[in-house]
Amino acid sequence: MDAKVSILSVRGVTKRFGGITANRGITFDVAAGELVGIIGPNGAGKSTLFECISGFYAPDEGEVELDGTRLTGLSPDLVCRRGIARTFQRLRPFQGMTVAENVMVGALTRTRDVRHAREQAHEWLRRVGLLEKANAHARTLSTGQRKRLELARALATQPRVVLLDEVTGGVDQRSIPALVELVRELHAGGLTLLVIEHNMRVVTAVAQRIVALHMGEVIADGTPDAVARSPKVVEAYLGQAYVS
Amino acid sequence: MNPRLACEALDVAYGEFQVLWEAGLAVAAGEIVTVLGPNGAGKSTLVNTISGLLSPRSGSITFEGQRIEGMPAHRRAGVGIAHVLERRRLFPFLTVHDNVLLGAHNARARPHRDETLARLEALLPLLKTRRSQLAHTLSGGEQQMVAIARGLMARPKLLMIDEPFLGLAPRMVDEIGRLVRRIRDEHGISVLFIEQNVELSLRLADRGVVLESGRTVLSGPSAELLRSAEVKRIFLGEFAG
Amino acid sequence: MRPYAGAIAFFAAVGLAPLVVDDAFLLDTLVLILVWGCAAGAWNIAGGYAGQISLGHSAFFGLGAYAAALCGVRWNISPWYGLAIGAAVATAAGAVIGFLSNRLRGPYFVIATIAVSQVLLLGAARWRGFTAGSEGIPVPFRAGFWTLGIADKRIWVWIVLVLALAVYLVQLYLERSRRGFQLAAVREDEDAALSLGVRARRLKVAAIAASAALTAVCGALWAQYIGFVDPLYVFSVDLSVRFSLAAIIGGLGTALGPFLGAVLVTTVETWLRAEFGGLGSHLVGLYLILYGTALILMVRYAPQGLMGWMRK
Repeated sequence: MDAKVSILSVRGVTKRFGGITANRGITFDVAAGELVGIIGPNGAGKSTLFECISGFYAPDEGEVELDGTRLTGLSPDLVCRRGIARTFQRLRPFQGMTVAENVMVGALTRTRDVRHAREQAHEWLRRVGLLEKANAHARTLSTGQRKRLELARALATQPRVVLLDEVTGGVDQRSIPALVELVRELHAGGLTLLVIEHNMRVVTAVAQRIVALHMGEVIADGTPDAVARSPKVVEAYLGQAYVS
Repeated sequence: MNPRLACEALDVAYGEFQVLWEAGLAVAAGEIVTVLGPNGAGKSTLVNTISGLLSPRSGSITFEGQRIEGMPAHRRAGVGIAHVLERRRLFPFLTVHDNVLLGAHNARARPHRDETLARLEALLPLLKTRRSQLAHTLSGGEQQMVAIARGLMARPKLLMIDEPFLGLAPRMVDEIGRLVRRIRDEHGISVLFIEQNVELSLRLADRGVVLESGRTVLSGPSAELLRSAEVKRIFLGEFAG
Repeated sequence: MRPYAGAIAFFAAVGLAPLVVDDAFLLDTLVLILVWGCAAGAWNIAGGYAGQISLGHSAFFGLGAYAAALCGVRWNISPWYGLAIGAAVATAAGAVIGFLSNRLRGPYFVIATIAVSQVLLLGAARWRGFTAGSEGIPVPFRAGFWTLGIADKRIWVWIVLVLALAVYLVQLYLERSRRGFQLAAVREDEDAALSLGVRARRLKVAAIAASAALTAVCGALWAQYIGFVDPLYVFSVDLSVRFSLAAIIGGLGTALGPFLGAVLVTTVETWLRAEFGGLGSHLVGLYLILYGTALILMVRYAPQGLMGWMRK
């Protein structure tokens, strides 16, 4: 087994809201170039985990580190500049801007030159297959196209790790394979990805590793094969009756 | 035999965001049916479309032989469909009594209001004992019972409940389960419910319908779906044992 | 050149007007159009470009006006210093409001801005020892450029025109620069902007501070022009509303819009004054009714303002 360089490290992250513990002692590592799927039933704490990693929430306990640099409690814009980009489950394109301008906002975090940012934006749009829509207004895009836009925009910040919050939600089953293929390509290009996904067929197809959450805790961490068969996971999703 | 409720080929979207593609569902008279599926599959969307909170882009909803997909939500209660929303949604600063009475608002149920209330109080004693208590002071389980009672005040032929067991203790879950069975057994009311817990749902329901990514992919008697490998695969992917 | 045709035409017309127009009333209207246009443009930096709608900008205007007046009356120095002092104090006040914008959103922020301007109003009206209280300060006229004692209205037009060009160019910068793009992102969706590494807080504070400074300069020039600073006017909510109205009617977030909006608002107001004569209190109510109606019509039929309507 090769020694894997851990790039993102989550240690004991705990987040409480009033009486509810949304995340409890979440601990796992992500190696450079890995694609990790985060799964779990509704309310398991997946989104809260993403908010804690990306800086929108500060965890009550625990640490988040990127390449040894402490990210815990930093503001979201700082987390991005340090190298973690994210997409949102409810898509948030900048409606009043064109597609290219949307991506430029991401690019401008890494370059001061507007012209250079525009070139980079076009390059990212080409990579995600949206180049011909570069001058269209963001609000004219379909859901699948908006997902690609969010991706391009996040990638333009040249992140070390990308947090994808639900790639296939709201997308027609027929369009899913193309999106999955895009994620695969980006991953093959060396990107480290953390993906929340409800569609298990998608997750098991792309992820090298899956971390399963239930009621705020990690209940399984391993290959898709191992996790899907794990009795705890089966029970969490379906109930005891399904545990063979 | 015509089912009490039949949904066919429903396409439903939130603005640009399409959530259901050709989704279908049927509920017979006196049947308890559960809608299952991974998160984001569209379960709540389907139920909200049936009760009229959402309008389908295409497809049909037939209730007791009448096409209702174009009917505004407030009239569907009059036709016999009651919808108990996720997290109960009682009016927190009204009493139990007022909350329940509001359920009989529609024209068909209003004349029989007192009689219906009496019957429900027999079914659910807490409606009497807590009648002046403010709704938000009740426990989760008690609120769920009141919400179901409010739904029943409309004298529905179909009662739809979105996540009846959410946040409830096991004992409460049993009680609600028993209540649902009594509603069906004693009054012939069909029940359609959404629930996260697959095993629990299938033990309560007669039949199950499974949604995945906005499409109906499986349906059948609960006994078949329970322990089914196909269900496992839908929820846990291809590797599921 | 084409996209700038409107701006070139506008500023050329204004710049050349004093050469052909002799009538004092018309020149006066022109000066006022420019002053309100500058104030609206300054407001637009915070409201249009940064998306921070404020109804308290009269706070900055008043600070500038008082700075200029006090320079002449109390400290016996050139009112040009008043522009600088007013801008500096307003920048500090703007930073405070910017800080508030990071704590309060939407309607709560608006209310806070109104509160700030009213606190300043009360302060100025009561602090007799410093500001001569609610009677206001008559600004002494000492002839000369250095003392900004200029009788010739034509020169005033050119002076304010310089400021107008500066305000216009600042807004243009906000449309094309890196900071401008980031600011637009913050305006559209602050959380999404943060997730992309945009320093939203810092940008908002900077925009509001810049907006405050420019508004104060307008106030200082206006005080010298009109010759009288009345706290109940310079810190009034009416004035704040006028700035925002001119910008919104002209075209929120466009560089030329505020000036076009100012043309409309000023001409209507001047006409009202001419028709009904005198600044009686009953007139204030009439302005508000007209403003409100104009705003409703604008939002309903031309949400992009005059600029949007002209582009079609």
